[in-house]
Amino acid sequence: MESSLKSAALLEQMKLHLATDAGKELTSKVGLVYQLNIAPKKMGFDEEIFVVDLKQGKVTKGPYDGKPDATFSFTDNDFLAIATGKMNPQIAFMRGAMKSKGSISAAQKFTPDIFPKPSKL
Amino acid sequence: MAMRDLVTGGAACAVPGTASSSNPLGAFANAILGSSSKAQEIKGLPGAAVNVPGPSSDFRTEAPLTTLPGLENEGQQHQQPYGQNSEFLSGFRSADHGVLGDAWNEVHQPPLHIRGGDTEARFQEFEQIYNRGVPPTWDGPPQGVLSRFLHSFVDSGRAGVPFRPAALPVLGLSEGDKQCIRDRSFIMAHHIFADKNEEYINAQVNALLHSLDIDGNQRLKGPMRGSYPELEEYWTESQVALRPGMPNFADKWVSEFSQQRESGDPEAWARSFEQQHGVNGWASEFEQEHSQLASIDQMSGANMYQIAAMEQSRMLANTLAQNTDPKFQNSKFLQFVSKMSRGELIVDENQIKPATSSLTDDWANEYQGQYNAGPSYWADQFANEELSRGKDKWVNEFVKENQQQGSDDQWVNEFSKLHVQDWTDEFGKQVAEGAFGESTADDWANAYDKYLDEQLFTSKKRSNASRGVYEFSDMNPYVGHPNPLREGQELFRKGLLSEAVLALEAEVLKNPDNAEGWRLLGITHAENDDDQQAIAAMMRAQEVDPTNLEVLLALGVSHTNELEQPEALKYLYSWLQNHPKYGALAPPELADSPYYADVARLFNEAAQMSPDDADVHIVLGVLYNLSREYDRAIESFQTALKLKPRDYSLWNKLGATQANSIQSADAILAYQQALDLKPNYVRAWANMGISYANQGLYEESIRYYVRALAMNPKADSAWQYLKISLSCASRNDMFEACDTRNLDILQKEFPL
Repeated sequence: MESSLKSAALLEQMKLHLATDAGKELTSKVGLVYQLNIAPKKMGFDEEIFVVDLKQGKVTKGPYDGKPDATFSFTDNDFLAIATGKMNPQIAFMRGAMKSKGSISAAQKFTPDIFPKPSKL
Repeated sequence: MAMRDLVTGGAACAVPGTASSSNPLGAFANAILGSSSKAQEIKGLPGAAVNVPGPSSDFRTEAPLTTLPGLENEGQQHQQPYGQNSEFLSGFRSADHGVLGDAWNEVHQPPLHIRGGDTEARFQEFEQIYNRGVPPTWDGPPQGVLSRFLHSFVDSGRAGVPFRPAALPVLGLSEGDKQCIRDRSFIMAHHIFADKNEEYINAQVNALLHSLDIDGNQRLKGPMRGSYPELEEYWTESQVALRPGMPNFADKWVSEFSQQRESGDPEAWARSFEQQHGVNGWASEFEQEHSQLASIDQMSGANMYQIAAMEQSRMLANTLAQNTDPKFQNSKFLQFVSKMSRGELIVDENQIKPATSSLTDDWANEYQGQYNAGPSYWADQFANEELSRGKDKWVNEFVKENQQQGSDDQWVNEFSKLHVQDWTDEFGKQVAEGAFGESTADDWANAYDKYLDEQLFTSKKRSNASRGVYEFSDMNPYVGHPNPLREGQELFRKGLLSEAVLALEAEVLKNPDNAEGWRLLGITHAENDDDQQAIAAMMRAQEVDPTNLEVLLALGVSHTNELEQPEALKYLYSWLQNHPKYGALAPPELADSPYYADVARLFNEAAQMSPDDADVHIVLGVLYNLSREYDRAIESFQTALKLKPRDYSLWNKLGATQANSIQSADAILAYQQALDLKPNYVRAWANMGISYANQGLYEESIRYYVRALAMNPKADSAWQYLKISLSCASRNDMFEACDTRNLDILQKEFPL
């Protein structure tokens, strides 16, 4: 429980997910590195940085050592909404709920299907 | 001026000395040059020996002398078509096993062997092409036209209305087209009979869009329209004859198509593209060039006949260019015609010659040809050429790509892969780069904002629930029921969860302080896979009865599901606090901001106190889920299950934990246990879908999501997941059904 972000929980699951066959398929399919700057409440403040490395199939905390293919900033809730398909990344982007840096084509591959879905108790 | 002229002209070529019409092209050149007198002469040579091999002899003997008016240039079209025609006809006959032949005969009275009928039909077709002024019925926005058109031709297909013979000559232009159509119908037949195999359906949709593609072009273009719709009509008819199941399918096709169009995305894009780049701006530029070149034209003294010929052949080339068959695209005829249209070949004294004039002359001619025809002609031309190659085609490709996502046509593909809103990104980028005027960009932004607001309306509505405000259903039939709580409990027991929700809502509306009503409502929502409503209901229950352990546990579980750790921890801790047996363990000062480690430690103590209390193990399991110590969580739930083996929600908790710790196969077994105990357990069905999706088995997952949604259409998260799985399974054709929450279609498509 090092982070109280909801996103952290999801990314923790993603860590495990990337070890599965489906996760490996994902790395071969996407093959990009995303850096996620996730803020608890307000974008840009108290961000926690995660790297979803779909080249090597890892999720790590802290900034990427090198140049990620795309970097996104959003709040905890917005990231979760995007990752679970509640919000379309394009809409999020247009509404300013998501900021992105880096290659557009890499950004366009940032879709909800790369994240595992949490099952419900 | 009929085919007859041409053919007899060809005959004349065998007669030495008739230099004026040395070959069929000569006849057509006559026509072009308006030397009708010569043509008349030729007509006066009946029974002249024909050296042209093959079917043309039929023309000689059969074709009546019909003079179709005003078609001086018709000859051009008929040069090649009759060569191909024989191929087409024989191909047609060979496929003559009843139906196709019947269709042919039906269309042709007198029957097949009299080719004269065919030639007439052919002339009528071309007459239509050239004499067509304003096309009769098809006006309005393109998508409306298209969907109306499709409906109309499906209707005609169903009613078995014979269609105009005009369709056939166009068919005859390409053997490959026929082949293509046959292939498609093969695919579609598979679709109908093999009952929803993914690949076949995909192929079917692609094929469908391909044909619509063509139609789409036809609709947007003035003079060329007609040929393909008729082709489609013919095709559909023959399909109806072939396969009884066809009308049914065609209906589906139409509705699918209109859905596609209604989504309006490609159109919207096209419109904004036009707005931004300004078709008119383009046009005026083009016209400026015209006026400059016009003066040059005058000096060059271009031969008007040649220009006319070029113009006609250009139109013909356009018609022919519609044909997407590669074989045909490479045919000599098309090359010839397009050369004609470009002025590379000119008709001079009944001879076809390579153009001798300078390049600038050619250009000048071409421009003048267009210029003379006036701006309206230019507009048509523009619509045909530029739009079909540019915007239209792009839009169509976009639509097509949306469906398949397969090819690696980079940009279009990327674009369509992300579906609806992606263009906005690209667009936004261009706006940022100052590609467009600021004012338009603003307009666009406003319009888009409006659209977004509409899109987000529902999610806003839902966000109330996440803030703990309970959302009541509209139109509740249980309001006024004498004992809705009883009814709700009964329905809950029967597993009719969505019904039970309504009854219990009626209860809490009647008795807002009924903790049991709220609690059961919350439980029902949780089982119905709606955690936000569950939380809202449970919070009301907790207000009334703050120490109810079941309520506190349920709140802890639901917040865990929503990944809301602090809240979950708070409720789980107060469960401990309020427990008669373990309450003493929990120091009250921790209640405000419990630390996970402390809470876990306390629960472990409680579990040691009474290892046979299933509830403690359950809470521990939830707690370990919260800290993502899945192995321990699984252990706790398994311990609890030994004590309470018939607790279906416990089986589900075990399954969900296993799924989250990527033991999906085990998870599915656990869910199965839960479903054996409670078949209408929506949460377990949805979890099944999640497990399959996380294993990359999207097709499977869709079936489970749909099953869950059939029982509770209000489970928003399942809808979201369904859409993701649809996209992963390349079933974008079902997006519309998903967006409109059309379960009928989805259940039919994805039976479990």
